[in-house]
Parts: sequence; structure tokens; C-alpha cells
Amino acid sequence: MSQGRKDRPDHPAEVAAMSAAPIVDNQASRSAIILVVEDEVLIRMMMATELRAAGFAVLEAANADEALKVLRSSEPVDLMVTDIRMPGTMDGIRLAASVRGMWESIKIIIASAHTPEWPVAVICDAFIGKPFTPDRLIERVRQVLKGGAP
Amino acid sequence: MTMPVEQSKRPSTILVVEDEVLIRMNISRYLRECGYTVIEAVNADEALQVLQSNQILDLVLSDVQMPGSMDGFGLAQWIRKNREGLNIILVGTPERAADTAAELCESGPAMAKPYEPEALADLIRKHLGLATQGQR
Repeated sequence: MSQGRKDRPDHPAEVAAMSAAPIVDNQASRSAIILVVEDEVLIRMMMATELRAAGFAVLEAANADEALKVLRSSEPVDLMVTDIRMPGTMDGIRLAASVRGMWESIKIIIASAHTPEWPVAVICDAFIGKPFTPDRLIERVRQVLKGGAP
Repeated sequence: MTMPVEQSKRPSTILVVEDEVLIRMNISRYLRECGYTVIEAVNADEALQVLQSNQILDLVLSDVQMPGSMDGFGLAQWIRKNREGLNIILVGTPERAADTAAELCESGPAMAKPYEPEALADLIRKHLGLATQGQR
């Protein structure tokens, strides 16, 4: 899986989203809580394992319904990484829109194998094209938490 | 109070199978604080994917009642047949956890919900053989 760090985004949409990333606090990302929303268990497992190894606290959800349950609990999630195509009552796009509406401070990264046709920067803080390496995921998460451009 | 696993060894890896996300999240977090590596699965189907991957596992902690192609009993039977030696602890309501579970899992009668995390951690340590190796 690991293919080393890439210096440039895979998708043009990644650039658009990152350049529009808002400036947020400069808190160290080590203690940040990341919510991973992914219905493919082995992918979710890889993402969670790599993010934990990088020092993040990780919560896992298998779909949007589970993600909303986690967010409605008292978990102080800093950033959500969500897949788009998932079973359940809503996909990742609708989830992102809901989260943006209800929890404005939560950063959002959308992951997909398909280049989005929707206005990326409106819905999320960053887009990451699948497949991605663990290094690339961690890099994206750190960038978004810091509010910086790639 | 959490108790760390032995530092000199690879942390034991536990597969937690639970369809209720907040229960799964909390027990997984507790076990991680105890020093274990925890893999999360929503149901038996996801658990089977993990079991059939190259992921190292030392113990499976599974709920009994779950949606999907099989429940916790079915998962335990699959593990007994295909992953001999892998510890499994079933967790369920007392009325469903009776004699059948005793035949299926190492722990004898399944652990009844609701349970104290400390009691669960003790049971896990027992089955991983850590208590006999000087661990708390």
C-alpha cells in the first residue's frame, strides 16, 4: 500500500479544495480526533491504523448513519474523512453537507475514486483521490487541520 | 483504571465485532487504553473479511445479536472450524448466552450485557494467557 509520499495531488479537485481550505487554529494535530467513515472494512482498518500510528485519535464509522450517531454523542471530532459511496440513508456528499450545517467547526475530507462533479470547496475542506497511500492520507489530514495550502 | 499490556511483546490484537457504533467505539477505546491493538468490525460479514485477510489476530470479541448473514454464534462456529486456536469471547444478553455459547467459545458462558469494562479486560487477559506471564 505504501508507495511513498507524493508531492502533488492526484486529482485537480484536490488542488481546488486545498486552496480553499479555511485558516483554522494551529493546534498540534497529534491530539486531533479523526472520524473515519468508510464502508469497506479493510480500507477503514488501514486508514484507522495508519492515522493512529501517526498519532491521531481515530473513531470509526461504517456509514453515514453511524457517523451521525458518533457526532451526536459527546465526541469532540476535529476532522471527518468520508467515502462517498456507502450504503445507508445517505452518501458521503449528503453526510458532508449535514455535518457542515450542524457542526461548522469540523473539518471534512472527502475520499473517492471518482473526480467529483460537484463544487468541492463548498462541501469539504479537501478531496483525496482513491487509491491513496497512507502517507498521502496523513499529509492531507495534517494540512487540513492546520488550515494550510498544499 | 486501565492496565497496560506487557511492553516487551507485540501488543495483542483484538477484533471487536459489534453493530452498535457507540458501544463498539467505547469498548474499543477502552481496550486500546489497556494497550491492545483493536480492529473494529460492524458485523460478522466484516469480521470474516478481516479474518480472511492477513491481519494478525489474537482474540475475537463479538456481540451475539447482529444483523447480517450470521450472528455471533455463527461467527464463533466459523472461527472454530477455520481458525483453530483463535480465542473468542461472545457478549450478549443473559437469556441468549446460555449453553450454546459455552460450547462455542473459550470463555464458557458468554459475557452478559451490560458488563463492566474492567471485567471484560480481565476476561481477555485470562484468555490471552497474560495473567500467567506476570501481567496484571
